[in-house]
Parts: sequence; C-alpha cells; structure tokens
Amino acid sequence: MFKTQSLILVVAAIAMVGLASAQDQAGKFGPVGPGPATQRKGTPPQGPAPKMPDGKPDFSGVWTPTNFMLMGGQPSLQPWADALYKERRANLSKDDPEGSCLPAGVPRISPFPMKLVQTPALVVMLDEGNVHSYRQFFLDGRGHPKDLDSLWMGDSVAKWDGDTLVVDTVGFNDKTWLNGQGLPHSDQLHVIERYQRPDLGHLSVDITLEDPKAFIKPHMFTRAYSLLTDWEIHEYVCNEFNVDSEHLVGK
Amino acid sequence: MRFGAKSLIVFGLLGSSLPLLAHHSFAAEYDSRKTITVHGIVQKVAWVNPHAYVWVDVKDENGKVVTYAFESLSPNALMRGGWTKNSLKAGDEVTVDGYLAKDGKPLADGSIHANSKLITLADGRKVFAGSSADTAEPSK
Repeated sequence: MFKTQSLILVVAAIAMVGLASAQDQAGKFGPVGPGPATQRKGTPPQGPAPKMPDGKPDFSGVWTPTNFMLMGGQPSLQPWADALYKERRANLSKDDPEGSCLPAGVPRISPFPMKLVQTPALVVMLDEGNVHSYRQFFLDGRGHPKDLDSLWMGDSVAKWDGDTLVVDTVGFNDKTWLNGQGLPHSDQLHVIERYQRPDLGHLSVDITLEDPKAFIKPHMFTRAYSLLTDWEIHEYVCNEFNVDSEHLVGK
Repeated sequence: MRFGAKSLIVFGLLGSSLPLLAHHSFAAEYDSRKTITVHGIVQKVAWVNPHAYVWVDVKDENGKVVTYAFESLSPNALMRGGWTKNSLKAGDEVTVDGYLAKDGKPLADGSIHANSKLITLADGRKVFAGSSADTAEPSK
C-alpha cells in the first residue's frame, strides 16, 4: 500500500514540474518527463520484428526492462545457500557488490536500459547501469573455452533454435548476487537464456538457472523488455563519486 | 527569513526497505523513519554517478550554519525525469525533504549525510523528485 502511494506521489510531483523544467540535453537519451525512465512504461511501437539479411530476427535496439525485479519466485536453495541468503537479507544487503560499483553479474540487471547490437556472428549487450557491463554472445559456432576463468559476467556462446536465440553462459565467479536481496549462486552457475522478439516492440527472455551446488533444482523465469525508439543508453560511471560504501551499515 | 532554517526529524512507521533505483541498498545506508525537512541555500550541486549530490547550507536554531549533503538519484534517472545539471544551482533557496543516514557520521567534508526525496525551490518549482526509497521493495 505504502509502495503504491509513494509511486503516485512521486509521479504527481514530477507531473507538476512537467515540461516547465524541460531543458537542453534530454531528447537523445529519452523524452523529458514526466516520470523517471525506470517508471515509464509507454506503449512500445507496433509492427513485425525486423529481420537480418539471413532471415533471422534482428534483436538490435535499446530495450528497457518492464519486470526487472521479478524472478518467478524464489529458487529452492541448498542449506548453505539458504543460510547465506538469510544472512544477507538480515543485513539489509549492505554487502551487495553493486554497492561497491562491481558488476551485477548474470542474469541480474539494473532498472536502466540496455542496448543490443547484432551482427550475423555476434550479439553484444551493452548495459547502461550495472557499471557499464557488456556481454558478448558468440554466434560463430564456437564452444566455451576448456579452461574457463572465473568471470563476473561469464562466458557466453549462442545458437539459433528457429527464431529463438539461445545463449549459454558458464564460467562465473561466486561473488555476484542474483538479486538485490542477496540470492547466492556458486561457481557452477549455468545460465540458459532464450531470446525472442515476437514483434517490433517486445523482447522476451526465458531464463533457466542451473546451479547444482547452490540450488536444489533449476529455476526458471521470463524477463520482458520494451523497445525504446527515441532513447539512447546514457553514461553511468559508478566509481566517479561512490561515497556510499563506507556508510552502508545495514541494520 | 530567506535563510530561516528549520530542521525537523519525524520518526515514522514506514518500515525497512530495499532499493531498486540505487546501486546500493537504501535501507543499509539511510533510515526511512528519520525523515527531515530543511530550508536553506544550495551551496553546490554535483551531477555525478552513482548519485547526484546536493549540498545545502542551513541555519540551525542558534543561527549557526550547518551543511547537509543530500544524495539524489543518478544523473541518468534525473535526466529522464526532466531535470538537468542546470535545474538547480548554487545560491538557490530550497526546501529539501529527505532521510538521514543511519550511521550518523558526516561525509568526509564534514557535511551531514542524508538522502533527498524532493527539492522545492522558492518559486514553488519542484526538482530532483525521487529517492531510492520510493521504489523500495519491502524486506522479507
């Protein structure tokens, strides 16, 4: 209830400001008000999904998540992971790596837009938030390296299943959190993402998380995005003035 | 009373919360029950990541000037809300609603550490509306 009221108050406050405060640099990075980008859910454009010259769907574009906080409920956790999750929640997420401007990992995202750039052999994801992380989905038939390093964003290879882009990611460290509340994973995390663009304005990603060390069974959920035709991703250099970390006291 | 300052601390019952618009946990850094409203003069604005900051000089009950440093949203979020680095300037008279930091410790420059949720200019314009507390998810 409080949450809804707060949102209404914020939106109302911003609406009062309206276009009166519209100034120079908005445009390119998004329309001026009303409402923070993260809360705008304008109607995405309509039409068929664009195609690459080879007939495959083209996922290129600037996309904003429309359900970024949802993970389809909580995964069934192994006892050690469950205990760690409880501890992080009890500490009010004070040790979240993101608070220290470290990468959010996969599949955690920020509320800010991301950009997909597609070529026949490679899809690149550029995150506006999430300390400007990038991911590369190699579509040239390569497999994962034999001796994988422990990576913050993992190693991703992709293939087509009809019009679905299937991205397989392994090689993670165990430092990132799967959500802002501290959902843990191990270095055995395996993320399978199935990207679909049913029409021009929508991107849907079915996500399966496997982690035999941290989860009792795989966890699945779907993430949705809307296309932003008149926005660009914006600079976000997290370490510029991060005075927060020494004041994150928790309880 | 251009510089008239009033600092009011209200202990509400809003409960703890976790952030969505911040890169860090709101509840780990600020106390949603320690809301404040201060009136003063903007000393400076830092349009920086991961959060813009606004320093406000406020006269306390004894006439002594104290400086508050308010954490706002990130520049990309503020910009898409319709504000720019020029929407608030040094010398502007403002009323700021916000929350105090949990640890009670000043920032390195000695200013009182707080989080803003709304800044109102003397002519009534409201700028930099929003706080990582607004979209916080209740902790379970």
